[in-house]
Amino acid sequence: MTNHGMMDEHESSELTEDEKRLFADLMPEDLTEILDTGVNRRHFLKLMAMAGGGILAAQSAVAEQLMTRPFNESGPENPTSDSLENRVDVSFNVNGIARKLTVDSRMTLLDTIRERLDLTGSKKGCDHGQCGACTVIVNGHRMLSCLTLAASCEGKTVQTIEGLAQGSSLHPMQEAFLKHDGFQCGFCTPGQICSAVAMLDEVKKGHLSYVTQNVRQPAGPAKLSDEEIRERMSGNICRCGAYPNIVAAIHEVHSGKPVEQIFRSV
Amino acid sequence: MRPFTYSRATDPSSAIKMLAQNPNARFLAGGTNLLDLMKEDVERPNALIDISELGLSDIKPIAAGTNQGGISLGGLGKNTDTANHLLVRQNYPLLTQAILAGASGQLRNMATNGGNLLQRTRCPYFYEVAMPCNKREPGTGCGAKEGINRMHAIFGWSEQCVAVYPSDMAVALAALDAVVKVRNADGQERSIPIADFHRLPGDKPEQDTNLPHGELITAIELPKNRFADKSYYLKVRDRASYAFALVSVAAALEMDPSDESGKRIKAVRIAMGGVAHKPWRALKAEQLLVGKEATDANFKLAATAEMADAKPLEHNAFKVELGNRSIVLALQMAMNGGKA
Amino acid sequence: MVNSRNPMKDTTKTIGTPISRIDGIAKVTGKAAYSMDHPVKNSAYAILFKSTIAAGTIREIDTSTAEKAPGVLAVITHQNAPKLNVKGGLRGGALLQSPEIEFFGQNIGIVVAETFEQARYASRLIKVTYDKKEPKVDFDKLANQARLPKDKEKADANRGDAKAALSQATIKVEEVYQTPIEHHHPLEPHAAIAEWDGDKVTLYSSAQIVNGAQSAAAATLNLKPEQVRIVSPYIGGGFGSKGGQWANLALAAVAAKHVSRPVKLALTRQQMVNSVGFRQHNQQKVSLAATADGKLTALAHEITTHCAINDEFIEPCGDCSKIMYDAPNSLITYRVVPMNLILPTYTRGPGKSTGSFALESAMDELAYKLKMDPIEFRIKNEPERDPSNGKPWSSRATVQCLQEGAKAFGWEKRNLEPRQNQQGNYWIGYGVSAGTYPAHQRPTSASVKLKRTGDEVTATVELAAADLGTGTYTILTQTAADALGLSIQHVKVKIGDSDLPPAAGAVGSVGAASYANAVNDACRKITEELVAKSGKQFFAPPTAAQLMRSEKLTDYQTRVDSKAPDSAEDYSSHSFNANFAEVAVNKSTGMVRVNRFLAVTGAGQILNPKTARSQIIGGNVWGIGMALTEESVVDPRWGNFVTRSYADYHVPSNLDIGHLDAIFIREKDEHVNTLGVKGIGEVGIVAVAAAVANAVFNATGKRVRDLPITPDKVL
Repeated sequence: MTNHGMMDEHESSELTEDEKRLFADLMPEDLTEILDTGVNRRHFLKLMAMAGGGILAAQSAVAEQLMTRPFNESGPENPTSDSLENRVDVSFNVNGIARKLTVDSRMTLLDTIRERLDLTGSKKGCDHGQCGACTVIVNGHRMLSCLTLAASCEGKTVQTIEGLAQGSSLHPMQEAFLKHDGFQCGFCTPGQICSAVAMLDEVKKGHLSYVTQNVRQPAGPAKLSDEEIRERMSGNICRCGAYPNIVAAIHEVHSGKPVEQIFRSV
Repeated sequence: MRPFTYSRATDPSSAIKMLAQNPNARFLAGGTNLLDLMKEDVERPNALIDISELGLSDIKPIAAGTNQGGISLGGLGKNTDTANHLLVRQNYPLLTQAILAGASGQLRNMATNGGNLLQRTRCPYFYEVAMPCNKREPGTGCGAKEGINRMHAIFGWSEQCVAVYPSDMAVALAALDAVVKVRNADGQERSIPIADFHRLPGDKPEQDTNLPHGELITAIELPKNRFADKSYYLKVRDRASYAFALVSVAAALEMDPSDESGKRIKAVRIAMGGVAHKPWRALKAEQLLVGKEATDANFKLAATAEMADAKPLEHNAFKVELGNRSIVLALQMAMNGGKA
Repeated sequence: MVNSRNPMKDTTKTIGTPISRIDGIAKVTGKAAYSMDHPVKNSAYAILFKSTIAAGTIREIDTSTAEKAPGVLAVITHQNAPKLNVKGGLRGGALLQSPEIEFFGQNIGIVVAETFEQARYASRLIKVTYDKKEPKVDFDKLANQARLPKDKEKADANRGDAKAALSQATIKVEEVYQTPIEHHHPLEPHAAIAEWDGDKVTLYSSAQIVNGAQSAAAATLNLKPEQVRIVSPYIGGGFGSKGGQWANLALAAVAAKHVSRPVKLALTRQQMVNSVGFRQHNQQKVSLAATADGKLTALAHEITTHCAINDEFIEPCGDCSKIMYDAPNSLITYRVVPMNLILPTYTRGPGKSTGSFALESAMDELAYKLKMDPIEFRIKNEPERDPSNGKPWSSRATVQCLQEGAKAFGWEKRNLEPRQNQQGNYWIGYGVSAGTYPAHQRPTSASVKLKRTGDEVTATVELAAADLGTGTYTILTQTAADALGLSIQHVKVKIGDSDLPPAAGAVGSVGAASYANAVNDACRKITEELVAKSGKQFFAPPTAAQLMRSEKLTDYQTRVDSKAPDSAEDYSSHSFNANFAEVAVNKSTGMVRVNRFLAVTGAGQILNPKTARSQIIGGNVWGIGMALTEESVVDPRWGNFVTRSYADYHVPSNLDIGHLDAIFIREKDEHVNTLGVKGIGEVGIVAVAAAVANAVFNATGKRVRDLPITPDKVL
């Protein structure tokens, strides 16, 4: 490329030391507070002090400046009105917290986590299993919460986008999506990330895909080319068209090696 | 969704009894098609019986009986588990490919084998309750026959219905001569050959299958075969993934070991998706190929003979040519070892 | 490759650096609050119900069963809806003001209930009878009745005598190109939470034009603008459909008023097809003539399309043809036929994306007739000035885009003749195209507030701008940081709220230029004011941050009303691109795959290469969808869309998209606006479909003039 007179601009291929320190140094309770309620002034200053010229700091700070969703601040889990029909009692675990709810038999898992548990990260893009924005991880498997009745989740374990970060650190997939700009509007992002996390588990188990060359291969971790990532992620529609960046992010997490970002100008 | 009672079945026999007692009850397994249709107000059950925790999900070799040496797939096994099971991928790679060609990773994690067989058509007139549809509401007419029918049938349609059956998995099952095991409220088990499981629409398009209300698909049996080295599932669609087929072809070949050239076909199975109200077994093409050499010319002859009977509608004449080419390509790919 | 920053860039500045999205953490953690995510207590749930005929009158609506259904709080129809102002500025009508039906799927009522499940069920219990009229929905049959547009911008545009030049020409192309109805289908369906406080209403709803949504909602509801607050911090995709707003916004407020509670009203995915506009079907005849050595002598672009039965919107398909090439004789015409479909609207790259498909396909066809390389052919017809008005270009990088792109893509490997490149069961083909989109800066106000604690200075920048994934938060943070002399961590950007200073919309690629220049102006103004306030003279101009410290100020703020420089009018300002596609076409099945795609863009100052690249490749994905998969189909008997879900309307999936690459031309445009920003949101889709279609021709010898290029058209 350089012989064409082009100048490639590389961003540092890993999170900077500043960025890593930023999250590593935060107390877990601080992070929970940040994620749940937005950054308050104290956190903001702390982040700034710690982050130096880091990029991530500015993004954290935005939690203060942008409208984000507080966690479980409004309303009881069970409505007080007797508005529910065909009531079903269901106990399940969401992001590590045991939940006991009474739901209308018609209520989907998606509407339950959004409207009753105030976990609005999972999105309703189509409500018919055609976009993947509602993807959550149920008992370790990626599923569509819009086509799952809450009533059928008795005893199950549900992980949503809100449950991926561990204490003070984002999940590697979240970090990789940030770095590779694996989104634009961000509406499909929670579903993409949940899908990608569970998809890599499928790969570890040796699951096949439609583009797998030889489906008769014996079991064992599957090889994950970019084409394999594309096919396996095709159940998550991104209308903004961030697919190449999503593939790069997943590739990075899967390989454990930085995937270079190239910004070309001439 | 209309209001419905929800109950979790604890064992198959009580589940079947509960279903049999109420003509408006439905089993809920993966829910991927049923809940979609309930939200559209196409399906209107007043009771759902959740059978997802009943077990019936094992994949195992068949030790005795007519299908001895084959394998049995639990009716409530998940599509993902079926496609990836070693017994399936090594002995029935055609089925693995077909399952993986359908839907998305998330949906395959939810959908069950029995539920996949019971998928209803994707015809837009069936889905839109403001439109006439004899399948959804008998007697209202067929919206598609004189309407937008690019996605519709070219074989076996009737004046009442031109819809196609959407499953990929079942197309492979048709090619593999699968047998559907069902149980009724009296606990009696019976076997339905896959060819008889789905129906052509005739004058009762509201009936997709020959499975009566009140029976449960407990398993799908695959007889032993020698197709694993040479089979391929080809799916042609409007986008690369996560779309229903325009045309799909499941092709499987067994070569005659007594033939020195290794080119003579001993047995062949061809089934098509996206062309009829049921998986369309291309018997005419199969008959023309048995005993012949596996050459492009013979593939072409067989495909042309099969497609000669097609009766396209206003917008889907392309499916005749596409079907022809797809049969040839699927057979070529099968000969090539079925590599994607 | 050198792992270093661009040496041409001032390392103390953040503009031009690829910082990650400021709003990124909120998005990857699920905390970003889109319209339906805002916490509102005690809300009820509303759902719209719609007409099942396309033309006629409602005879009777029987709501009695629905009203008695459990949990139902209200059923609102034209019989009990409050009087609204149908000319208030919401698009598409359907405000429950009369029994007249103008399109299939027109809103005819709202059900409000305690729960979403109850509202949805009750909406199925409404019984409606109609007096039907024959709908006008069959474009193929109605096209010959198309009339002159009312819009004066769409009047016939003549230069020279194109018809005469064409009739005399021997080397020419005269073909008709078709693009289907397309839907925006943002992942986030249009939705609003309405919450009244006395006579004021807050609407949490996605708006590409925050102030436009406010004024239209207010006027429709017969309120003053200050009685309506739009809160729209995040937008789950818009692509034009959330620019002008639609009935659902006002109807959420109506429902909330009716039940005296906050109400959540979201469209279902199926309702999206007839609630929020679409890109119309365009039938475009393009006629080109050239001399034997490849100089264009005539260019005619004649467009026939459709609009709503009582309202006109026509996307400007002729715009690229106006300015792309130097043809002495030019003709651009529009004809339109009203139909019983909802009003069409702006859709990504309005007019230019679809118009360029026709123009750039025809250019490829003519180049092939001339046996000329299509890049050479385009360069040969490069205009020195804007052919439509004679103005000089503020900057134009078409030739550079084509040449640099050719080098980077390996264009020399392309065969002039089609069907020359086989790989296994695939035909491989290369295609090229060029495109453009106008650059404007629109009036925008912004405030900047500085605070100092000790030595630390922080800034808050406020304006009613929008970020629909475009990167607004990020580029404004960079702009303010640079202009104030602060690090990005010390800058806070507040947008997406009509309580903030009014701003242009994030539409028509005006967002970045309008917002960034306004913020830059505000920061410069505050610096000047602080200098004046200090009463000192400086050799080296100090930053605002330095002044806050030196003058020991704790708080200071200012506001600016910013607009484009007057001199901008003297120039013709546009972004330009060149697109390169490599396709693989399955010889047996006709399935087309874009293996590689490269977009080279000249768009002036690139504020953030990371978000800019994402914008471009996103536009490319849209263009690939336009080329290969996207089509909305109407049944002409009823006027309903048969493609009413994501299962039927094929947005490209991940597997549809091969390797995409973007190159920006380093371009300093000193005329377009202070920062030299030209905009990239729209240009990324322009001419993409043509590059793909041209590549399909190069691969197979088959010229598809009717999008999308589905397998059946390639067989």
